[in-house]
Amino acid sequence: MFLKKATLPLLIVFGMGLLAFAQEFVPHPLSGDFREEMTTWFRIIGGFAMFIGAYSLLHLHVTRIRRQMAGWGYSVFVFLGAAAMIVVGLWNDGVGPLADAEEGKTWFDWGYYFIQVPCSATIFSILAFFMASAAFRTFRAKNLAAALLLIAAVIVMLGLVPVSETVSKALFGDRQVFARAKDILMDYPNLAAKRGILLGISLGAISQSLRILFGIERSYLGGGD
Amino acid sequence: MDAPRADMRKLNLTRWVIYLLVGAVVVLFCALPLEQEFEASKDVKAVFNRVDALEPGAHVLLAFDYDPASEAELKPMSRVLLLHCFQKKLIPIVMTHWSNGLTMDKGIIDNAAAEAAKEFGRPFQSGRDYVFLGFRPAGSNLILNMGENLKSAFDKDFYGQPTRAMPALQGVNSLKDIDLAVDFAAGATPQMWIAYGSDRFGFPLGVGTTAVQAPDMIPFVQSNQLVGYLGGLRGAADYEALLAQSYPKAKAYATRGMVAQSATHVLLILLIVGANIRLIVGRLNRKQKGRSHG
Amino acid sequence: MGEPEELSGRKQSAVEMSVLALLVVVFLAVSLARQRHLLAEDPRQSIGIIVAAGLTLVMYSFLYRDNPLFKIAENLYVGVSLGYGAILTWRQALRPDVYDPFFGAPTWSAFSVAALHRTVPIILGILLMTRLSRKHGWLSRYSYALMIGWGAGVSIPIATHSYILQQLNAAVAPFQDAAGNQAASAATFSGPWLWHVALPIFGAVVVMAGTVAVLFYFFFSIEHKRGGSALSKLGIWFLMISFGASFGYTVMARVSLLIGRVQFLLFDWLKLPK
Repeated sequence: MFLKKATLPLLIVFGMGLLAFAQEFVPHPLSGDFREEMTTWFRIIGGFAMFIGAYSLLHLHVTRIRRQMAGWGYSVFVFLGAAAMIVVGLWNDGVGPLADAEEGKTWFDWGYYFIQVPCSATIFSILAFFMASAAFRTFRAKNLAAALLLIAAVIVMLGLVPVSETVSKALFGDRQVFARAKDILMDYPNLAAKRGILLGISLGAISQSLRILFGIERSYLGGGD
Repeated sequence: MDAPRADMRKLNLTRWVIYLLVGAVVVLFCALPLEQEFEASKDVKAVFNRVDALEPGAHVLLAFDYDPASEAELKPMSRVLLLHCFQKKLIPIVMTHWSNGLTMDKGIIDNAAAEAAKEFGRPFQSGRDYVFLGFRPAGSNLILNMGENLKSAFDKDFYGQPTRAMPALQGVNSLKDIDLAVDFAAGATPQMWIAYGSDRFGFPLGVGTTAVQAPDMIPFVQSNQLVGYLGGLRGAADYEALLAQSYPKAKAYATRGMVAQSATHVLLILLIVGANIRLIVGRLNRKQKGRSHG
Repeated sequence: MGEPEELSGRKQSAVEMSVLALLVVVFLAVSLARQRHLLAEDPRQSIGIIVAAGLTLVMYSFLYRDNPLFKIAENLYVGVSLGYGAILTWRQALRPDVYDPFFGAPTWSAFSVAALHRTVPIILGILLMTRLSRKHGWLSRYSYALMIGWGAGVSIPIATHSYILQQLNAAVAPFQDAAGNQAASAATFSGPWLWHVALPIFGAVVVMAGTVAVLFYFFFSIEHKRGGSALSKLGIWFLMISFGASFGYTVMARVSLLIGRVQFLLFDWLKLPK
């Protein structure tokens, strides 16, 4: 069937892309109206897109439980947590999903503040330990490039903290020596490298967009014809 | 068979010693009531001066684009910028691209409004003194939507109040009407705000980012696409120090955290330098042994 | 050979379980002792702080090794985040954009406007979700085609302007500024000339050379020989300095996150004076 083939979607991509490109250069009010309409459309579609991620995650854990894979028991807690939050969220302290409860005091907020926030914040804070251990064990100035990396890291680490002002005053009589060294490092060699990377990535992104518009890149269509 | 096991034990011991050292230093210096003086960086001063120069009634868009994982770095800067806005009688308009941070954002605004009410002697009311628009999906399209018609992008605020006739949004129909925007970002939203927002609609933009992203902002500051940036906890502490000149209680979480930050950085520098000195000494010894045998 | 190892493993397990039981008892005792006032005033808040502290410490137990308590906490967190995201999507996206315009329309005219502007995107949103079906997944291509086409088309001029042209302009601007300062400056070979002309030009040359070198390093279409090799090496040096700077900032970031959690444990859980 023609509708199942990739031809029409590819034509839509090209046509939509051309319109999107053109409206950037058309000052007519109709162009602005078109842009506003499209952005409203994609805002609404975006709301539905969030459920795809949720479904994929739940499907993964259902499969784990069904096949009784290693560690399947832990997947039960995913469903427990999700079900609890959805139930209290919809119940909404008695007012239901179509009204607004007094914010900050519901069980839904409790679950957010005392389960989600601490877990989320703590998981990333563990990296501080791993980073310290890895830095001690692997950060060696074995060649010029590694030495440059190490020296830059030490200058920035020192320049970022207030104690460097005390040390700087003691050594040089000026509180801002390390901070200025850090600023010079950031504003010149770091700027050069970041700008080079930014330009390279942007050129790559533009070429990828062109490949999508011309139908060379089709991975977003999914499998099949 | 014993040599690899002995190596693993040595590795684990080293790992454990470092974990305990880092943990002990952070806990100790967080618990001790120490203070440090420091000077704010030029990039933080740029953002501060920009906010400070605004007239009462000016609209400042604050995008809280982060979730609880980055709370420790971005929450202090969000709080202190809100306090600055309340102190100067500016009207902060808060929104977010990250749904996972929404309830946290509400808590930050409520706490800042309560603190400001207590300190500045007047109540701060949603819809009149500030607006919390909440979250909408669709990233860059949302910015484009807001740039054309902000009240259509957010026809109601977080509390369900219509934005069309809201007093706090009088005179603000799109992003072109705001006086300053600041994006607090844990992801790639600064680049999005620059390209789809400030470059396009012409409003000045500052950012507050996690320290990981701070170096990436430098090209945009140098090109004047950003007025300045707050980088990580140090950026938040700098802003607290600047605001503390007129409102001493501004100094809170970030300033307190800088003592532990200093101590931990010094520890890590000593560890890294010590390990490298050991490497250099080892190499010199091997060279000498080689010469004496040769 | 296997038996002594097995016994030693079982012994270690028994020791670990005993230590864990002791730690749980200590945690509960400390929590009740430090939170007793708040427990009386606001039990929900206090129990929440105890649960949050417990989850924080369980997460940190991963530093010892991966363990069942950590796995439970991790999966619970995933589930709670999922549930939170789903409810927020309803409250902040679907209810104001899909439900209220139709079912909460105050007048027939408002309903007509909603039908005119929102019917097509709602249908496209529903079609988007067919991606999950193997049989009907082809329907989602139309929604994706519209979104991807729009995104690609809009991003080309925007990225070209903001990320390329503006950055190139900024790379050249210091030379223009220095030239302007030179023309304006009456002094030569003196302080003002040095600060306003020579140093900015030197800095701009360094940045320009570094940018070109870094771009050249990533250009793999030609072999980096002779002069190209030297330029590529210069690019690597600039990149190493940049990575070192990024590492320094990353250290601050990670330590800040740890400081945040420690502040919670010390001041909110243990109620130490601030």
